Amino acid sequence: MFDLHLNENRRSFLRVGGLSAMGLSLPTLLRSQARGGEQRNHRAKSVILVYLGGGLSHHDSFDPKPDASEEIRGKYHTISSNVTGLAVGELLPMMAQTMDKVCLVRSGSHNNDHHETATNWVMSGRFGSAFGDWPAMGAVAAHESGFPGTLPPYAAIPRNPSFTWELGKSAFLGGRYESFKVGDPNQDGYRVRDVSQAEPLTELRAQRRQSLLKTVDGLAERVEGNDQIKAFDQFQQRATEMVLSGEARDAFAIDKEDEKLRNRYGRTTFGQSCLLARRLVERGVTFVTVNSGGWDHHAKIWDGLDRMLPDFDRGFSALIEDMHGRGLLHDTLVLAMGEFGRTPKINKDVGRDHWAPAASLLFAGAGVVPGRVIGATDKDGGQVTENPIHPADVAYTVLDSLGIDPRKQLHTPDGRPVEILDDGRLLEELYA
Amino acid sequence: MTSSLSRITVLMCLACICMAIPADAAEQTSFINDVVPVLTRFGCNSGGCHGKLSGQNGFRLSLRGYAPELDHATITREALGRRINAASPDESLLVRKAANLIPHGGGQRLEPGGKAAQILTDWIAAGTPGPRTDEATLLRIEVSPSSSTLANGDLNQLAVTAIYSDGQRRDVTWLTQFASSDSGILDVAPSGLVKALRNGESVVRASFRDQVEIATVTTPYAEPVDPRLYAERNNVIDEHVFNKLAALRIEPSPLCDDATFIRRASLDAIGTLPTAAEVRDFLSDADPHKRTRLIERLFERPEFVDFWALQLGDILQNRKERDHDVRGAKGVRAMHQWLRSQVAAGTSWRDMATSVLLAKGSCDQEPAVGFYIVTVGEKDADQSEVADSVAQAFLGTRIGCARCHNHPLEKYTQDDYYHFVSFFSRVTLDRKKPEEGGTELIVGTRHLLNLQRELQNKRAELQTLQQQNGDAQKVDEAEKRIADLARQVDEARKSPVEVSQPRTGQRLAPQPLDRSRDAIPPGDDPRQTLVNWLTDPRNEQFSGAMVNRLWKHFLSVGLVEPVDDLRATNPPSNRPLWKTLNGEFVSSGYDVRHVMRLIMNSRTYQLAADSRESNYRDTQFYSHFYARRLSAEVLLDAICQSTGVPEQFTGYPLGVRAIQVPDPGVDSYFLALFGRSERTTACACERKADVTLPQLLHLQNSDELYRKMKSPEGELAKICAAQSDDNAVIDWLFLSTIGRIPRDEQRASVIELLKTGDRQEVLLDVFWALLNSKEFTFNR
Repeated sequence: MFDLHLNENRRSFLRVGGLSAMGLSLPTLLRSQARGGEQRNHRAKSVILVYLGGGLSHHDSFDPKPDASEEIRGKYHTISSNVTGLAVGELLPMMAQTMDKVCLVRSGSHNNDHHETATNWVMSGRFGSAFGDWPAMGAVAAHESGFPGTLPPYAAIPRNPSFTWELGKSAFLGGRYESFKVGDPNQDGYRVRDVSQAEPLTELRAQRRQSLLKTVDGLAERVEGNDQIKAFDQFQQRATEMVLSGEARDAFAIDKEDEKLRNRYGRTTFGQSCLLARRLVERGVTFVTVNSGGWDHHAKIWDGLDRMLPDFDRGFSALIEDMHGRGLLHDTLVLAMGEFGRTPKINKDVGRDHWAPAASLLFAGAGVVPGRVIGATDKDGGQVTENPIHPADVAYTVLDSLGIDPRKQLHTPDGRPVEILDDGRLLEELYA
Repeated sequence: MTSSLSRITVLMCLACICMAIPADAAEQTSFINDVVPVLTRFGCNSGGCHGKLSGQNGFRLSLRGYAPELDHATITREALGRRINAASPDESLLVRKAANLIPHGGGQRLEPGGKAAQILTDWIAAGTPGPRTDEATLLRIEVSPSSSTLANGDLNQLAVTAIYSDGQRRDVTWLTQFASSDSGILDVAPSGLVKALRNGESVVRASFRDQVEIATVTTPYAEPVDPRLYAERNNVIDEHVFNKLAALRIEPSPLCDDATFIRRASLDAIGTLPTAAEVRDFLSDADPHKRTRLIERLFERPEFVDFWALQLGDILQNRKERDHDVRGAKGVRAMHQWLRSQVAAGTSWRDMATSVLLAKGSCDQEPAVGFYIVTVGEKDADQSEVADSVAQAFLGTRIGCARCHNHPLEKYTQDDYYHFVSFFSRVTLDRKKPEEGGTELIVGTRHLLNLQRELQNKRAELQTLQQQNGDAQKVDEAEKRIADLARQVDEARKSPVEVSQPRTGQRLAPQPLDRSRDAIPPGDDPRQTLVNWLTDPRNEQFSGAMVNRLWKHFLSVGLVEPVDDLRATNPPSNRPLWKTLNGEFVSSGYDVRHVMRLIMNSRTYQLAADSRESNYRDTQFYSHFYARRLSAEVLLDAICQSTGVPEQFTGYPLGVRAIQVPDPGVDSYFLALFGRSERTTACACERKADVTLPQLLHLQNSDELYRKMKSPEGELAKICAAQSDDNAVIDWLFLSTIGRIPRDEQRASVIELLKTGDRQEVLLDVFWALLNSKEFTFNR
């Protein structure tokens, strides 16, 4: 019961419907929203967030401490990269040859070591909810961009991050801005739920169904002025286009990619997710989350990293190189991060625990200066000694790169005005 | 230290100099009554600016001036007092920033040298006097005209008068903030000039300091309507609805047909689609009173209990705790079962509310304790969301804003909030893991709980000692300790009931939101006083919260919107109807079936959803039935019923319907997609009415729906096998989905299509089209 608020729907509807009516494409719209006509070279049409859920060990990847004692240093040696003076963990040989295309931030830092609270914090840029009550950046991007193309503006591959409960949600922005979950592209016979059918329709049947729909459904002709009906008709049309037009099916047709390239990304869920992210961005999706979970190595960390780091190494380096080769990095911001780093000292179960004060993040594209290292941690990798960068700074920079004013005021359903972000700054050091 | 001391000295000296200013100026400019209103009117302390929690660029004011004493300190003393230039008031940062004479992020708020700027400089010249205890306090404001009728495009200037405790009346129009509650109908300029933009009725809200009043503006349609169209009325609801429509000259749509009525009534009363047979029987029934008889039959259906227990579960947030849950699915089911038994027994809303609010003991024996487990959780009651949830569920009002600052749209202050919270200061949960037994609600403080536990342990110890003929000295010591503990328990029981207001540190005793007060005898459960106030027949918010929910449930749009945002400044769209419905509900003894019966029998409820040229713009006066998407559970059950293939919910036997599922945590892609309530708060907005792209993709293309439609055990397969007559199959398809037989031209096109392809396949496509139609997915 209690479920219709016509005014609310009207506003949302006008947002969605109005866009195409005004002939505005997304980049045009976002550009027109840029504040004060400011000319900047860091402009992204899309963002790919590679989320390393659970918290990547920075010691064993991008912030090695070869001179520390063994209980801190860990098992891995370091290898030099193609950026002078920059060494990374030995399980990242391909990334080592890609570091000249990314900007490494070694000073990610905050103070919350609870998976859910920290995840909502880093995904939204706002602190204070364990339950995803602040809308994730992707949902904000969807809210601000509307639905400019055939594909939804916010996608999650395979799905949103989740620990005990799901995060990365649209929260008070409403269900319309939730991520579109596309499933695991590494599965045999990969299909997207509700987009590709088990039994594809023949052209004849598809047409027959559309004509039948017109025949039986006369409600819209008899009822005017009802926003839910208008929204239903509009999304029905869009859903039909998505399934029948071929554009969406093509976006998800990862098997059309060259075998060699697919192998370069790695025939893993992570690798193929990265590849699919590129396909979606190419087709105008504004925000893609590639969700890679399982980095929460409290015990037997070497077993875990021996298995997971090579997949990450292969997939992420392929993504950066492929995007670079196709010129997509020009207007796509790629970002890899988890919710925190891990403890310097190896624990009794041969693991590392949650560690909020220090973490490594990677940025690439959309004007980010490549081959740079920003920030540093102390000799044990426990504390940031230089330029601490907080979740709100990261979110600020991501939203800003999309042309969204991070201080813009939104309204919760009960009418409370809230800024998208109440904190944070533009990470200018990424650009200049 | 040295510098701050010298600062104080300078300040004191400045204050001395300022004393020399003529006394009348000092008296005239009051911080509370002049300065704060200026800062409020021009948006300085608004939520988007310096009024937000983190302030703006290092300057933080209380939101809309709810804490003048803090603001005074901030303005005069913070930032080394550099905001004030006592020697040259015009040069003060406070004035020059606001006038944008020096760069200001917020631009120009005040006209340089204007009336508002003058107030600030006068106040600075007077030595920045702070809030005084002896100055006149604002009692209320009046807006005139409080109601008016305007033609489309007409203008009207509102005037606002403030009335103070010393009898003073001041014209504060220029310091008042105006807001239109529907900017599509009314436009209001910052000056209070109203313009009617569209036909209808709406209100303008006028806020000055912590007072809010409204002015109603009515703009009737220009075209006269045949008065006979308002003549047919079934009951008292129609009197008020049609009077309103007549006053606004909005034409009502005609009565809906019988097929529409049985579908609409079944979906709304029992959350269940009528079967093809039920529709046929109803259509062939010649009794002129068949609609009324149907309504009574629906009330007796078992699905009525399922469906209303679901609604109550939403209001009372029956779910597992989001973290560290102590009840488990078992506890959620127990509370659901309890709600079912209340619905089945016809328990009044008053009695149900009383049982929930006074619940105590173990949640194993008293399932309603679950309400407190979810809303109090792991916190102390006075730190938790329990007060917010109680206000929203039982009073249909949102007081959460006032936890941190005065409510911007209502008279509730932070003090009101904590007075209200105080009612729950004796609720203590003794949380236990499920394997250790049921979590208990104890009436008393945590301190009392701890003392009682110790006392219990000591008594057990003593008993053991005595049984074992223990050491006399030890027995003696134990007896003394027991006596001491018993005295402490008694004291703790009698300690005053109060909570601390975090901003002022004041201890606040329980007091209802209307500030009426009843002393609570020491040791009593303060919640009893709350319940007495809540369920007093004169408390229109308690009855109104339920009446409005029921009205919205059946008529799509609440008399007040949002449905659980009742407040003086958000009046019902039809006040006489509001009064009548509340009166009916109270005099029936808070019997929800009585209100449902009135609504469902009204002509208003039975109007067609079809709009007319003259009424399609109306979305709040009920000129036609406002079609709405079926809710998640109802839609899923409707699909299962039409296809004849039930949904399997994890942990429940096959055949349990979506409206019967007690726990919103049960995994279901469909229910989540279509926006079931997660019951995180008591807000009705938890249940999402959104129409989204993935929903439409799911209806059109999901394997799940496709499997259901073409299942060999499903209804379509059965009817195709049993019926060779295409016409009969087509009739059945239409009846079992959209509840009517096809129109001739529809039948003809289907027959035509059947010639073009495989019978089974074409019929499957017809079925698909019907399930994807709005006639199916909407209640209309």
